[in-house]
Amino acid sequence: MRRRHHPTLNRVVVHVVLLLVLAVWMIPEVYMLSIGLRTPAQAFDAALFVWPLTFDNFLTVIGDNPLAGFFLNSLIITLATVALVVAFSSLFAFACAVLNLRGSLTLYATLLTTLMVPLASLVLPLAILLKTFGWVNTYAGLIFPYAALGVPFAVVVLKAFMEDSPKELFEAARVDGCNAWQTYWHVALPLVRPALVFVGIWQFITTWNEFFLALIILTRDEVKTLTIVPMQYSGLYMANPGALFAILTLIALPLILLYVVVQRAFVRGLLAGAVKG
Amino acid sequence: MSAISGRAFEQAPKHYRRFAGPWTYLFLLPAVALFVVFIAYPIVWVLGESFFSVGNDRVNRFVGLDTYLSVLADPVFWIVVRNMVLWGLITIPVQMIIGGTIAYFIERHTDTWRGFFRTMFFLPVVTSVSVISLVWVQSYAPYYGIAQEYLKYLGIEMASSPIGDPSTAIFALIVVNIWQWTGFSMLMYVAGIANLPTEVLDAARVDGARGLRLAFSVIIPMLSPVTKSLLLLGVIGTLQTFPIVQLMTTGGPNHASEVFGTYVFRTSFVLGDTGRGATISVIVLLLALILSIVQIVYLGAKLSPSGRKEEGA
Repeated sequence: MRRRHHPTLNRVVVHVVLLLVLAVWMIPEVYMLSIGLRTPAQAFDAALFVWPLTFDNFLTVIGDNPLAGFFLNSLIITLATVALVVAFSSLFAFACAVLNLRGSLTLYATLLTTLMVPLASLVLPLAILLKTFGWVNTYAGLIFPYAALGVPFAVVVLKAFMEDSPKELFEAARVDGCNAWQTYWHVALPLVRPALVFVGIWQFITTWNEFFLALIILTRDEVKTLTIVPMQYSGLYMANPGALFAILTLIALPLILLYVVVQRAFVRGLLAGAVKG
Repeated sequence: MSAISGRAFEQAPKHYRRFAGPWTYLFLLPAVALFVVFIAYPIVWVLGESFFSVGNDRVNRFVGLDTYLSVLADPVFWIVVRNMVLWGLITIPVQMIIGGTIAYFIERHTDTWRGFFRTMFFLPVVTSVSVISLVWVQSYAPYYGIAQEYLKYLGIEMASSPIGDPSTAIFALIVVNIWQWTGFSMLMYVAGIANLPTEVLDAARVDGARGLRLAFSVIIPMLSPVTKSLLLLGVIGTLQTFPIVQLMTTGGPNHASEVFGTYVFRTSFVLGDTGRGATISVIVLLLALILSIVQIVYLGAKLSPSGRKEEGA
């Protein structure tokens, strides 16, 4: 009897404690939203919640600022990067794991060193290289470096998945006369779909939030991404925190919403990556 | 499968040769091309540039290791090193402990709420770092900041913001980093715990291991691949640190919170000293490579989504 009771009580306590920790953890996010919902008179109140709520700040900042443009820039750069990373890394991983091309493992090891290169040591040469290309203030100026930095991690994940896939399927494709491309397209890609989704989501998050290179390469308003505009608004709305935090909330929202929608697929990919080994 | 086989049979008399052929090297080409142009070439360039310096006569001349020596003699460089050591030594273990503990309770004691907790604790990771930085600047502000308000309950009262005081600035930033990235450690441990073989856990339970005993003598050792991945990622992440510091203190006050990111940025782009910027870049690069190799050789650390991937197993 004790055994049956004990776990239930435990579970309630664990849930309550987790919820309390979560409540504390969420304070900054709630605080951001809360300031955005205040009137100018309440903006400097040192409290988490202030009543009554007003949506005026949101209406003003949406009307006054080209947020949709920044959003679109972020979206174009991010989607293009994700597409390149998923395509290039799956091709590379297929050549290593399935085709076993001579020399591919050496190339793989070389590519992996990228994982140990901090962006801080690359921004200066990248900035100069992109200037030479005439790619400053262009989408391409971010898409290609981001893809180059993202491919190695994606290759690690996809190569491991392909190696863990049943070899007989690739063998069967070969016996049936599929060429390498057909095997890649019709056999390998569908097999590692959870991994492709995982890699794509992770690349989306990191690209969307990248700050360092974007700050250096994007100086004109027309091409700026959502991640680098909060700075200029903090100056613009210095005396009006309500408006500033309304903008910050709007900037943070797209990726948060996206993550909530895709988190199931993301965690599934993460879990699947660990099952095999 | 049948559709593929049907089509393939018609056009494949020499079925074995089809996989090989020099053209298959095209599979490697795009990734390698990106690597060469945007990673390898910049590294080679920055290495070369670090040996040159533009003098007063605007001529770029070879100065050998002079710039390295002058960087190493710069007191700011050593403040950066101290800050990076503090950053790594505090954020990595704290994120692991908090993230791991949360993950343990989520995975072992919840089911209906599991998805909710996993998602919510991860939200700071997907919240734009520039937004986070400004929210925390506001929280730390004296008189109206929410963090200051709550610290009063703990009996701590500050007349200024902790990021404005040289003795506390770096710690105030570290808190922000921990807050943002703990959810990442949590999710990695979640994946690790969810994949622990149930037979081993059952066996341990039969042997009488429960609660803390089970956690410390069975679960934690079995999660060591995740811990090693997090360590590797944490070290690289520490050297990457830039947005939080740039946006909250720009490395100040008086360099007190300077990190490699802001140091490179200031030298290269604010002061425009390319040779010196290149030298600092090379030093960061060497540090990252040495630290990674040490971990890989001595700990057998591996990078993988959940750290469980043993090569060739």
